[in-house]
Amino acid sequence: MTGVPEPNSADAGATRITGTRESRMTNQLTTQSLDLRYGDRLVVGGLDLALPGGAVTAIVGPNACGKSTLLRGLSRLLAPAAGSVTLDGADIHRMSARALALRMGLLPQQPVTPEAITVEALVRLGRYPHQRLLSPWSAADQKAVDAALERTGTTELRDHPVDRLSGGQRQRAWIALALAQDTELLLLDEPTTFLDLRHQLDVLDLVAALHAEAGRTVVMVLHDLGQAARYADHMVVLKDGRLAAAGAPADILDADLVRSVFDVECRVIPDPETGTPLVVPKSSAVRHSAASA
Amino acid sequence: MKSAVVAARRRILVFSGVGLLALFVLLTVSLTTGEMSMPATTALRALVGLGDAGDVLVVQQFRAPRSVAAIVAGAGLGAAGCVLQRLFRNPLASPDVMGVTGGASLGAVAVIAAGASQTLIPLGALGGGLLAALLLGAFAWRSGLAVTRMVLTGLAVQAGLAAAVNLMIVRFPAELAGSALQWTTGSVYGRTWTQVWGAGGAMVLALAVALVLHRRLAVLDLGDDSAGALGLNTSAARLQLLFVAVALASLAAALAGPVTFVALAVPHIVRFLTGPPTAASLALASLTGAVLLLASDLVVQHLLPVEGLPVGAVTATLGAPWLLVLMFRQSSPVQRSHA
Repeated sequence: MTGVPEPNSADAGATRITGTRESRMTNQLTTQSLDLRYGDRLVVGGLDLALPGGAVTAIVGPNACGKSTLLRGLSRLLAPAAGSVTLDGADIHRMSARALALRMGLLPQQPVTPEAITVEALVRLGRYPHQRLLSPWSAADQKAVDAALERTGTTELRDHPVDRLSGGQRQRAWIALALAQDTELLLLDEPTTFLDLRHQLDVLDLVAALHAEAGRTVVMVLHDLGQAARYADHMVVLKDGRLAAAGAPADILDADLVRSVFDVECRVIPDPETGTPLVVPKSSAVRHSAASA
Repeated sequence: MKSAVVAARRRILVFSGVGLLALFVLLTVSLTTGEMSMPATTALRALVGLGDAGDVLVVQQFRAPRSVAAIVAGAGLGAAGCVLQRLFRNPLASPDVMGVTGGASLGAVAVIAAGASQTLIPLGALGGGLLAALLLGAFAWRSGLAVTRMVLTGLAVQAGLAAAVNLMIVRFPAELAGSALQWTTGSVYGRTWTQVWGAGGAMVLALAVALVLHRRLAVLDLGDDSAGALGLNTSAARLQLLFVAVALASLAAALAGPVTFVALAVPHIVRFLTGPPTAASLALASLTGAVLLLASDLVVQHLLPVEGLPVGAVTATLGAPWLLVLMFRQSSPVQRSHA
């Protein structure tokens, strides 16, 4: 069984999303009056968003504001209760799962690592949407896997069991899986959580490089406002499942927004390194009265 | 670390080689020994129809079908256990614990009781196995298949279906009473080529499908979100794999009845000897199951002081303590967990 040649299987997914070639390549995700529910609970309500293609978008907001839920809605893992999500004009919930998987990769917040799996075996699974039922492992598959390992600096770790890696290495292995999937669009759910500062920056720099060098569209949920402002071209601020603000970080991130969304008094100053907005919370009187006296 | 992967591959190769050799030796032993012992060469010649007519009859018509039935059933049980334990992420999942072998036996007995053709037995077994899976789903699914709940419900389903088998056997006409042992405890005594070819052919097909679907099983290991993002329809994939596992176990039951232990133990043995699961270990699970069941059948035939015991008695004796050990390990607070 030789199976279906690789280019065909990739095209089969893409051609389902009809439309002109140009509109197909912009990778713009939009939502129209999107409602997302878990059971009876409305988590995200009436959301109208346009996430620019070819950019890095950060979704931020307080805990339980619906950030991760929104990401699941954007990636077809959660069907909308109302409204729709479109990718370059096509409703993603009307695409086949495979067609979408050829265009969009997702790194969940806490991915499940199969017991004792090696880094390379994990990354190989990223090729799943490119393979037909009977198609054997192809040279193109291996090339994509090697490139993903190289890109994430995990080539030397390829034969190591993932469950014995450090948090930072493990995260890079998972990003390598998403890269092996070879999609234009990459969704990351809090990729820096549980990592120390060095590894947080490594992951974010990797994301920035993917965008800058490979032109990938990235949408990521982030916890840290300063990191979001530094690494994102576009920022979506959620509060209680509703849109609080959206736009370039420099345009929207100010003291009023932080107060109304996070309930934190702060000053927003230019980051001395990058010039992007930096949120500096007001000093708490109790904590610093002794020091300033 | 490269050497670790090479070592894992070598382990799998060595394990396959040893397994195949063991299978060949056990098969030769099973063909040569019995009421009428003969040298190995005579038995192997008789298998292909050469030599004394009496030897040929004994080997070709009595011993060979029994041995091949044990191999086919063992292979199916090993693969079924392997698929189920991964699918449910549960080391206790196996067709005998879940009631599938009981259901399949009931289906097979129903075909016999109805006086239908023997060739329909695998089909009846498959129907019974699916019925058991449905029953288990109806009773246990609500809680998302918690381990203990599934095991307890499965054992209840198995007990109920086994009782139904007994009920039907009591009403069997006298000439069929001899097969009671097969359908109550599991046995490969008195298999005929008709039965072996039917179930065996279907088993080869089911094993091939299981191997083809292995890629989906591996993607499911990543959890529903990652699997979904990779374009896998997780619900459909689970149902397909469940169906294949039920088919494997049911076809095994069509040949050997409700044999326990093999499907439960084989995945653990394979994992212990070769490491994390791969497509190769699924194939190895079949091989191991075949070796285990054929060996168990030789034990009941020749090594036990009591004559005429069914092979299911041996596997059940091994299986009960094994299940207990696994359950203790499951509920122990020091069960290791990786974040």
